[in-house]
Amino acid sequence: MTDAPLDTARPLAKTRLSHTAAFWLAFSAVMALLIIAPLVLPEFWSGFLTEILIWGLLAMSSDLLIGYTGIVSFGHSAFFGLGMYGAAAALLLVSPPNLWLAIMFGLAGAAGAALCVAYFSTRIRDIYFAITTLIFAQIFYVIIFTWTSLTGGENGLIFDQPHFAIPFLVNVPFHTATMHWFVLAVVTASYLILRRITQSPFGMVLQSIRENEARTRAIGYPVERYKIVSVMLSGLFAGLAGALYAVQKEFAAPDFVYFIVSGETVIYNIIGGVGTLVGPIVGAGFYQLMRQFMAQWFGDQFPYLIPLGIVFIAMIIFLPQGLLGFARRWLNR
Amino acid sequence: MTEKWREEKWAEGFWYRGKVSRRRVVGWGGGAIGAMMLVPEPWRAAFGAAKSYKIGSEQPLSGVGAIGGKTALVGLQMAADRINKNGGINGRPVELDVVDDQSSPAVARQKVEKMVQEDGIDAHVGGFLSNICLACMPVFEHAKVVNMISVCLDTTLTTTHCNRESFRVHDYAPAQAKAFGPMLAKLAKNWHIVYADYAWGQSTRDSYADGIKKNGANVVGTTGIPLGTADMTPFLSKISGNIDGIFAILFGKDGVTYGNQAYDLGLTKKYISAGDGAVCESSNMPALGKKINGFIGINRYIPVFQGPLNTPYLHAFFDEAKKRLLKVDPSGPLPDRYVQSNYEAMNALKQAMEASKFEGHADTPKLIEALEGMEMKEGYDFPQGNKTLRKADHQAFLREFLFKIVNDDYQLLQVVAKDKTLVPPACTFSA
Repeated sequence: MTDAPLDTARPLAKTRLSHTAAFWLAFSAVMALLIIAPLVLPEFWSGFLTEILIWGLLAMSSDLLIGYTGIVSFGHSAFFGLGMYGAAAALLLVSPPNLWLAIMFGLAGAAGAALCVAYFSTRIRDIYFAITTLIFAQIFYVIIFTWTSLTGGENGLIFDQPHFAIPFLVNVPFHTATMHWFVLAVVTASYLILRRITQSPFGMVLQSIRENEARTRAIGYPVERYKIVSVMLSGLFAGLAGALYAVQKEFAAPDFVYFIVSGETVIYNIIGGVGTLVGPIVGAGFYQLMRQFMAQWFGDQFPYLIPLGIVFIAMIIFLPQGLLGFARRWLNR
Repeated sequence: MTEKWREEKWAEGFWYRGKVSRRRVVGWGGGAIGAMMLVPEPWRAAFGAAKSYKIGSEQPLSGVGAIGGKTALVGLQMAADRINKNGGINGRPVELDVVDDQSSPAVARQKVEKMVQEDGIDAHVGGFLSNICLACMPVFEHAKVVNMISVCLDTTLTTTHCNRESFRVHDYAPAQAKAFGPMLAKLAKNWHIVYADYAWGQSTRDSYADGIKKNGANVVGTTGIPLGTADMTPFLSKISGNIDGIFAILFGKDGVTYGNQAYDLGLTKKYISAGDGAVCESSNMPALGKKINGFIGINRYIPVFQGPLNTPYLHAFFDEAKKRLLKVDPSGPLPDRYVQSNYEAMNALKQAMEASKFEGHADTPKLIEALEGMEMKEGYDFPQGNKTLRKADHQAFLREFLFKIVNDDYQLLQVVAKDKTLVPPACTFSA
């Protein structure tokens, strides 16, 4: 009698184990491919892949809000841009340019913006939250665009790339492959941290807010506080993406703070699949590659936004769960 | 039937004595390929088809800079076609690899990286928006590809952000201010500067303020107007006090808005009206109409043939450019400084490639050496006039035209020689 529950639990545990094994197996395979990519790809495509990873990190950061907390942010360009300008400030002020300081400054810049946005925006819901984040992003854009003496205005800032340096161990300049591996390491670590967060009790509360905010509040959770932490975390990872972009490209420009970047981030999420973390990276890759290939196949002046828009609408209608959600459902069939 | 030739008498020795075997074909074929690889480049160039020079060009063909970008491309294409028609450069044709930067630094950066790393361009001529020029400069620097900046005006391109690979073959604000300063000081004692409130407007404002003050006049106030402001009245109506002249630094649509609204408010009647030539660029003239009459400006190119501008070179440039512009814009705009500077930047590159016997990307150091300090003589390649590409900062110095708008047309007031526009270099190349 007493053994009966154990017997039924065994297949469940087995299934969970096989799911975990399958996940890590797939994870290792993708990681292996991404690690060897710069060794086999031409220089341009290797750099392009690195850029996709950075846009993917930005999209993944917003997935914490869209997919897990159930709030859509149109202000991620502000976090990304301030991360970029924070890194730029460190790279311009400190000589020789220091990689870790750039990342720290980038995170600080994004954290400042995220705190400001989170404090005011999380008191409101749905479309009002989205509009407030959009307005904040535009405020930051105007400040950056017009405060020329500090931000370089429309021209932005250009600076030297820092070396990859670990005190007393290594100090080497970046090249395409090492930059790719560095960005890959940061994006992977970010993914694992975000995955852990979403699977933690904190992440469960966020998902509860997404499902039913009123009920979550009714059972005693301070919903506003959870949302503030969620926006802050999301903003920090978006800022990290901005800092990585600045380090890779050696420039910062106000265009990255403009709301179009926020819109593209939401599109990456929808294409890849919200609430999957990896999906937005896939979405960013799909979008960037489509744009690149269309220019290559149909000429540089081909209006790629029209077919991309059609693909986007088709995906919303036929694959509302996004590419990864669809793949997951297909594999589980 | 096809094998019948083997039976012929003449073929017997060739076929039956084992002279052609698979082993021999592979052996001789391999040897021939190896020999081809070992033959020096000049021999291959001499006996093979002339390989074209691949010249990249990043231009805003869509987005906010599209109108100017398409105009600029006309000048570049015109120069490339003329070069090819006259036998190319060093006997090799020129092939343009044009990419649309969509007026976005992120897109421009991606496309320029592709042009340099994937398409393997030999050199680059282009860049319209200053923020994009700045964002792309490190790509050319790292790849050691010569970058001929053909429109971007931001002062820092050849000062604080200068690099060894980038050259600007047209003027910049400090030189224009030096050329215009003496006349401005004579025209009015106290000036108020109205400027586009962003990087270009602000740096140009500083240059002109400096130029005015150095010549003994004063700048008593400045008004920054955000880009794309449709109603400038709230800004312009505040301009008052002890002033004699208003100096405007605006371009494109903002130049048109300023010209019309300053007239409507009576400012152009009350005060001397002057400014950067961008306010009344030839493409703006139809929209400005009579309201811009009396405006005094400076430009490196104006589409008229008065006095020293009545040259066969300027006529030839004007006629061809006008014909080509009509194909791009059916309203038939006149050539402007964007067409001129792209045309001349490509010709400057050609001159340096010929002087350095440039063969390809590997010869970039030789090409840079030829460009540094290069003199360009007035002629069909450089209809605007003589130019010097200064070695210290890779900035060109050229003559400037001071003009007044009379009866809706440009009237040349003065030609300032290139030597009178010289300002000290402010560039330190990284080691």
